[in-house]
Amino acid sequence: MIFGMWDEALFKIGSINVDHLVVTEWAIIALIGIFAFAATRNMQVVPRGLQNVWEAAIVFTYDFFTQLMEEEHVAKKWAPVLTTFFLFILISNYSGLIPGAAHVAGYQPPTSNWNVTMTLALVTFFSVHIAGFSEHGAHYLGHFVSPSVAMLPLNLIEEVAHPLSLTVRLFGNIFGEEMVIAFLLFMAPFVVPSLIMGLSLLLGAIQAIVFTILSSSYIAAAAGHGH
Amino acid sequence: MGSTIALGAGLAVSIAGIGGGIGMGVAGGKAFEAIARQPEVGGDVRTLLFITLAFIETLTIYGLLIAFMLVSKITA
Repeated sequence: MIFGMWDEALFKIGSINVDHLVVTEWAIIALIGIFAFAATRNMQVVPRGLQNVWEAAIVFTYDFFTQLMEEEHVAKKWAPVLTTFFLFILISNYSGLIPGAAHVAGYQPPTSNWNVTMTLALVTFFSVHIAGFSEHGAHYLGHFVSPSVAMLPLNLIEEVAHPLSLTVRLFGNIFGEEMVIAFLLFMAPFVVPSLIMGLSLLLGAIQAIVFTILSSSYIAAAAGHGH
Repeated sequence: MGSTIALGAGLAVSIAGIGGGIGMGVAGGKAFEAIARQPEVGGDVRTLLFITLAFIETLTIYGLLIAFMLVSKITA
């Protein structure tokens, strides 16, 4: 067994195995959902408290994606997906900082398993092609044979390589970080790992930002006029 | 057999780390140079730098993954 990989089922729904990771993901989704609900339950024109925080986050990410994707209507369509990616990945990464993560059997940050990151990357993969087709129609297929037909195999490889690299980058970073913390905890408890955990606050945020920026630039490339 | 695998795992991550380190150093240094010359493009350069560093870092992470896979093959 590789460290940190618990894949036995926790319980079953019908014939589907539900393992610990899925339950952790449900908890994260519920957390985001409860915050969003609490912030928007009693909305006012002049925001205060939680609504203020939430609005600031949405406006900031919306402006950021508009600037990055260069076309406002594309950004308007895809910013909700990308912001959700960011929040989900950020909270998943930070869930590894809660004491007991990767030590209590079954509890690990969901992004340290590559089934989860592959799922996120596949959502990006389909978003890219949906964005391309909805923006250019059948002309989008021309993008695969540009600049010439000889480039078709390379373009197809690129389309597969994008989600694969997204998967491996997020999984490798978070899994590697968890492994390092676990080894240090084994060798020199409490003081040394806490320094690395401080660093992993930064690392988790950077990985969430990088995943989101790359997804948005792939979508922008498919929906834009650069090809 | 186990010691050879351990050696291979160490080499996989260290060689990948050397390459990634040099690449990130060059990219980061040039980006700082550009921002120092023209501070008003700082935001754009920073975004591009993050994307570039992510691409470089992926190759190092591939090495790390191979190391993890090799370590999990060591029995005893």
